[in-house]
Amino acid sequence: MKKKIIFQLSVLAAISLAVLAGLQRLLVPKYMGLVVEGSLIEEYYEETTPHDVLILGNCEAYENISPVVLWKEYGITSYIRGSANQLIAQSYYLLEDTLRYETPKAVIFSISAIQQFEQENESYNRMTLDGMRWSMSKWNAIMETRMEDEHMIEYVFPLLRFHSRFSALEADDFTYYWRKNKVSHNGYYMRADIRAAKEFPPARRRADYSFDPRAMEYLEKMRLLCEEKGIRLILMKAPSLYPVWYDQWEEQVVSYADSHGLLYVNCYADREKIGIDYSHDTYDKGLHMNVYGAEKISLYWGEILKELPGIEDHRGEPEISVAWEEKIWYYDTMKEEQETEFAEKGYLSQFYQEEE
Amino acid sequence: MLLVSYEFAVFFAVLMLCYFLAPDAWKRYILLFFSLIFYLYGGAVFLLYPVTTAVTTFFLGKKIGKMTEESKNYVMSRQMDREQKKDFNWAVKQKQRRFLICGLVLNFGILAVLKYVKFIFPNVASVFALLGMEGKMEYAAWVLPLGISYYTFQSMGYLIDVYNRKYEPEHKFSVFFLFLLFFPQLTAGPISRFDTFKNQITSLRRPAGKQVVFGMERMLWGYFKKLVIADRLGTAVSVITGSPETYRGIWFLVGMVICTVWLFADFSGAMDIVIGAAEVFSIRLPENFDSPFSSKSLAELWRRWHMTLMQWFKEYIFFPVSASGFCKNLSAGVKERFGKKAASRVPVYVATLVVWFVTGIWHGASWNFIIWGMANGIVLLISQELSGICKAFGRKYSFTESVWYQGFQKVRTFFLFAFLQMFLYYPAGTVFSLAADVFAAPEVRSLFNGGLADVGLAGMDLLILMFGVCFMWVAGRMAGNGGIREKLWKKPLAVQYGTVFLLFLLVLVTGVYGHGYYASQFIYNQF
Repeated sequence: MKKKIIFQLSVLAAISLAVLAGLQRLLVPKYMGLVVEGSLIEEYYEETTPHDVLILGNCEAYENISPVVLWKEYGITSYIRGSANQLIAQSYYLLEDTLRYETPKAVIFSISAIQQFEQENESYNRMTLDGMRWSMSKWNAIMETRMEDEHMIEYVFPLLRFHSRFSALEADDFTYYWRKNKVSHNGYYMRADIRAAKEFPPARRRADYSFDPRAMEYLEKMRLLCEEKGIRLILMKAPSLYPVWYDQWEEQVVSYADSHGLLYVNCYADREKIGIDYSHDTYDKGLHMNVYGAEKISLYWGEILKELPGIEDHRGEPEISVAWEEKIWYYDTMKEEQETEFAEKGYLSQFYQEEE
Repeated sequence: MLLVSYEFAVFFAVLMLCYFLAPDAWKRYILLFFSLIFYLYGGAVFLLYPVTTAVTTFFLGKKIGKMTEESKNYVMSRQMDREQKKDFNWAVKQKQRRFLICGLVLNFGILAVLKYVKFIFPNVASVFALLGMEGKMEYAAWVLPLGISYYTFQSMGYLIDVYNRKYEPEHKFSVFFLFLLFFPQLTAGPISRFDTFKNQITSLRRPAGKQVVFGMERMLWGYFKKLVIADRLGTAVSVITGSPETYRGIWFLVGMVICTVWLFADFSGAMDIVIGAAEVFSIRLPENFDSPFSSKSLAELWRRWHMTLMQWFKEYIFFPVSASGFCKNLSAGVKERFGKKAASRVPVYVATLVVWFVTGIWHGASWNFIIWGMANGIVLLISQELSGICKAFGRKYSFTESVWYQGFQKVRTFFLFAFLQMFLYYPAGTVFSLAADVFAAPEVRSLFNGGLADVGLAGMDLLILMFGVCFMWVAGRMAGNGGIREKLWKKPLAVQYGTVFLLFLLVLVTGVYGHGYYASQFIYNQF
């Protein structure tokens, strides 16, 4: 009798867990429509070939460099682990997480994230952290960057966070229930629409231009980790026109890079060398590059990276080339589709709401 | 620590584990230890208050008990006639009364200072200002320790009972301290009596599976009421009552209903969680609700609503006041002028008004609460005066026996209760003005022109609320004789499990909690 009850309870518990797992899968956002950034981090785990270059950072990382161009033109294998408003601490733990799978030769860190240490919107945290696989790195990333009203248990069981979406379910939640489409190109977020840059409000004076010591601490941790693993750390500033990158910030970054012998590339300062045309190469009036701007920046980076020791042209390696052929096809197809749609409609329907 | 928090879930799970693994002799200490952790979670300094109350009450109780014991022994060892015994006992009682008063003044004093100083001082300042004596009155705004009203009332009930020789004083401090600090009831009651509580905690055993299941089911039901119904209504309550200039006419009626359902779901939900949590450890706490909205009169409703508080007031305020020398003298005076019938009502009138004044001020330190309490008292007295007419009406017309008429009485009672609740939210003048507008300018259309959506009652939320309230009502109707849990226990395991899991899913998915919602504490936590 007792055995029968235990058996029945075990079966019922298993069914309950399956129902809860199914429900959770349904209710968590799929990030397949207007906002795709939440899918960027998790796509890394589908990679089958290693990368020589890892790019870390926020939107200034995942919207400004195209790994496909780096491959096509230089045979450089790279991946961007970036997400919306990704904090420096999150980039550090993503580096730790990546090192569990591979050890790149170089890490490019988009330095603009250093200006802010605390998250301003919980949804940014979710987009970055939910995509990470469970490890101590993820645990630490959550503990370090969660907002005051965020709970660890809501990351362990996202159903607790997203339960209220039951009344806002969309077709995407059912369409992508079992499998989601790939949205990025090795972490690169493609936009082939064009919105010429406009004037931005003048920079406001700040009382204090020094970076948060906690952010500096993570930059130092990143540097030390790279040093320990024999990885070359490179700092990058994207050529975005806004938000303002103050001269005082630039001086601090230059000073840090010089004192530790790091390469620092300010693409905004080098915008003319890169050939950025702000009337054509941005999709949101100068905040982020579109695919045309990103391709130009990638070519610029390719010239720098190919000179670095350890970074090789892998185009002669069949296994890697096969994997990249597929990526190139996907990249070219998406680019063509977006170009066609933009030419016809003047906007991209997937992001139409955003345009309004 | 909120009962609706992840921290509480972890706390409760760890406690359960420790409790079930510990030998029976340790169980009481485990409950005390975890109750202390629960209390300390809000700040170590606050523990000073319940410790003061516990220590003073415990030793005063012992002293009073010892005097009783000694007096009994003295009487037994002496040859005394009836008059001598009466005189001796009276003298002992007088001495004991000093200790009782000491305990009452100290502990109610702490409560009064902490809870009412913010109310009393500005009012005193206003009176001085009226008299032309303006000046600045400095006072400290104290933070209320968790559950102060509950443990103060419980401890003072104990002291009065010991004084009245209803039971022996407790000799084990750990038992008495647990009585005051038992974590589930600390947050929102119920107000327990020491004798029934002691009998249970001095013989704690490993609970049977059925008890644990029943306790967990009851907790889950409480979470359903709180998270699915009460917290979903919370926004509407604050929006509607926060803007009386906007939400007039029919909105006053809607507000009455919403506020009452919200209060019931919140408070009775808290009680279900509290009583269920205690049940898991095989401790039965007294019930605080008995289907109050099935009442056919306001008096009956108040006998079924917050029962332990009402019982406390009846026992420790109503009876002593009505039997007091003041009431006797007043009654005698009235008898001389207005006759015996009028005089017989004096103690009831005085005691009722005192009880309702205290009920009002217990619920909150503001004039709104006092007016609400007094309004309830006055309506109850009027109802009592009219009861003769109502009975005569009932005897004359047979339809008063019909289900429909009884249904009408229940609805009438609900709306009367709901109307009186409005004094808690608005000044008295505004209540009457808003009530008049219900008939003068109802503007029913404003409900449907996006009005309900504006107060957070549209679409899926409205559907869930309608379902939830119906579910709560049906479950309440089935609550007698062991209720749904007993019926469910007799079903096959899969049916039991499936039903509970479905309720769990409902709470999990449709509950208002987590990020974006700020977990609101139970309304009765504030006392």
